[in-house]
Amino acid sequence: MALNILVVDDSQIVRAVILKSLDLANVPVGQAYQAANGREALEILGRHWVDLVFADINMPVMGGAEMIEKMSQDGLLKSIPVVIVSTEGSVTRMEDLRAKGVRAYLRKPFKPEDIREVVDQVIEVRHAN
Amino acid sequence: MRTEAKAANVAAEVFCNVIEQTAFMFGERTCKDDLPIAGRPFVQAQMSFHGPLQGTLALAVPRDACLQIAANVLGMEADDPFVAERATDSLKEIVNVTCGHILTSLAGDKPVFDLSIPEVSDLDEAGLAELLADDRTVPFLADDCPVLLRLALRED
Repeated sequence: MALNILVVDDSQIVRAVILKSLDLANVPVGQAYQAANGREALEILGRHWVDLVFADINMPVMGGAEMIEKMSQDGLLKSIPVVIVSTEGSVTRMEDLRAKGVRAYLRKPFKPEDIREVVDQVIEVRHAN
Repeated sequence: MRTEAKAANVAAEVFCNVIEQTAFMFGERTCKDDLPIAGRPFVQAQMSFHGPLQGTLALAVPRDACLQIAANVLGMEADDPFVAERATDSLKEIVNVTCGHILTSLAGDKPVFDLSIPEVSDLDEAGLAELLADDRTVPFLADDCPVLLRLALRED
């Protein structure tokens, strides 16, 4: 089944690389939505069905952590898995984000097979639940 | 080894890994005098970090080289309009990824850092001269592209 994906990053080039990596990794993508910050992402999530979100942490207007917090307070949005794609290397921060509901973490730079592994892991866990 | 020299070595090693993995370019340290920079306008991406270590990371390349870097990052031809629109975006991304990995290499994976959003600006002749004169600046050739990387740690 094709997945509707939302990629949240203030860098257009990063969004393009994530979508290209999904394609190269043969992840079946249905609709691919893009947002430049957390606020734009929440607007898209309010209007469209999304199966999986890839989000950066450090963004203007609204960062990834605040976006995840707002998703966790929404009955519908809290079940959507979020994967952080970041240069962040702090396990302390990642533990904090996992506690807020983040399902997985992909550290940049990454290869297409890394993104495939994360998608498989997150979608498998979602189906198991 | 002085802390700044050690930090510069770490920054250089991390940068070479990042440019290879993101843009498929091979970076090697060189002498400032060997850089082919004459007559080429430079752009600089810079960001700051705050936490157990504080400072800035700056990365400067000729403006024309941004196009090739973006094309490599995207896996597209350099003359594609999509690439041209994102040329300086690629420089911001490389400085961002490099900064994250430098901080982990220097401080470990426990501390939390606040990173600013990278900003790109044109580097005028005075700015380029200042960057070249700074002992903390590491000169590279990434394939044939001149690159200047400066990690400036600040003690507060």
